[in-house]
Amino acid sequence: MDQINTEHMVDVFAGLAAFFANKRDFLIALDGKVGDSDLGLTMSKAFAAAHEAVAAETEPAIATYLKDAGMAMAKAAPSTMGTLMATGFLRASKALDGVDAIGTAEMAAFWRAYSDGVAQRGKAKVGDKTVLDVLEPIASSLETSAAQDLALPQAMTKAVEAASDALENTKTMVAQHGKAAAFQEKSKGLQDAGATVGLFIIQSMTATVHAG
Amino acid sequence: MKKFINKPENVVEEMLEGIYLAHPAVTYAANDKHCLVTATPKPGKVGIATGGGSGHLPLFLGYVGDGMLDGCAVGGIFQSPSAEQMLEVTKYIDQGAGVLYIYGNYTGDIINFDMAAELAEFEDIRVTSVVGNDDAASSVIGEEHKRRGVAGIFFVYKAAGAAAAEGLDLDEVTRIAEKARLNTRTMGVALSSCIVPEIGHPTFEIGETEMEIGMGIHGEPGISRRDLEPADDVVDALMERLFAENLYESGNVAVLVNGLGGTPREELYILYRRVAQRLSERNITAKHVFIGEYATAMEMAGASISLTKLDDELDRLIGAAANTPFFTRLKG
Repeated sequence: MDQINTEHMVDVFAGLAAFFANKRDFLIALDGKVGDSDLGLTMSKAFAAAHEAVAAETEPAIATYLKDAGMAMAKAAPSTMGTLMATGFLRASKALDGVDAIGTAEMAAFWRAYSDGVAQRGKAKVGDKTVLDVLEPIASSLETSAAQDLALPQAMTKAVEAASDALENTKTMVAQHGKAAAFQEKSKGLQDAGATVGLFIIQSMTATVHAG
Repeated sequence: MKKFINKPENVVEEMLEGIYLAHPAVTYAANDKHCLVTATPKPGKVGIATGGGSGHLPLFLGYVGDGMLDGCAVGGIFQSPSAEQMLEVTKYIDQGAGVLYIYGNYTGDIINFDMAAELAEFEDIRVTSVVGNDDAASSVIGEEHKRRGVAGIFFVYKAAGAAAAEGLDLDEVTRIAEKARLNTRTMGVALSSCIVPEIGHPTFEIGETEMEIGMGIHGEPGISRRDLEPADDVVDALMERLFAENLYESGNVAVLVNGLGGTPREELYILYRRVAQRLSERNITAKHVFIGEYATAMEMAGASISLTKLDDELDRLIGAAANTPFFTRLKG
């Protein structure tokens, strides 16, 4: 699809819920290396709840769906990452208020609001080895694509590439936040678990766009 | 350590059940005992909510009542409650005039209260926040934003609660809470550790003859550990650190000598005796004095001293009447 319309939004969240259900054990194992290994549980729970809330909404609008998703995630997964991801969707909801189709420019606005919201709530900065190290490159990539008038499917593919490179880059960083910060040496060489979630979100949304 | 508990994992729930049975002036929202609210919300009044981990009674929930707070999200022992619980408290206590959050400077509480404020915005409830950071020991002058919130938050509750009871609007109540926050400093000393029921052993080790200056109310390390000194010398050490804040040169202050859970009131009055001497040497008048347990850390032996510099407005508001299950003050 060249743009995500209001009626595609339930598919977007069905895709996210399935994607994170599928990656549940992978995230548990990854987080277990330096964290408390609940990331796979909280993320699969959060996106399942988001999908359920979006599917149940009776007044369809893009901003309303994103708000429903954020609210549901905050309730279902009140861990730090759950709250941060919920914040991202709530900020994206505000950024896309009144919008009835997501093209490249709107997708860039979505991820900019998402990234800035997470940075503000989590009080993290780029380079701290967090999800932000993937969110920020996604937002920047989409902004560049929007400036070049690239169509949404191509822009999404580029954003996934940017996110993959950025995730790879987190292996060289030292954790500054959360439980991983207590294992700074141990965290070296590992991709950040939170940042992996960022890649998974853009991968899932991109798959939905390409599936048309 | 001997404790009166049934099962460690039920401590908070059973404590809350006891509180609801003993104090019908408080109830709970959203069918969740962790969402403690006043049974008699006042139409049109600014709502004030707090929240934080359990294990600090009467902080935080003990100050829900007339002239102070309207609701409190109650977490597990030393654990933040969820944003969802904070939102439920917010929805219940909002009387159309908005809600002020007053809580301590701890990461979990900050993330969840910020989230709750954002969720409340989607419900068209206006929310402001004031984050208590009175613990002078927890960071240096100039980096006050890194300091923890401890017992001095009581004065922020008291001033803001009285302002809301007077009918002031959300901006004014927030301004007053902020002023009380900026004028309040606390210094604490621990003689023994607390024991979290589900953990079952002391959070930190401290020798029989040692004291720790500046520890946190969850057992966080302080700034110095040394041999226990006579009470007057301990007070002098704490007061010197408070005076170094350059807030208390002369004029009026409110004083709180707070027991941390394992120290008898007799000893708190011995401490206050020296506090009063030190204030009077500086021509500082203690206009309002509070002595007792206001913010505890389970059974930790120890105490803290909080000072709030008063102007006429804070003097009036801290002196105002209040009536809560854990704190009552007739018109002062």
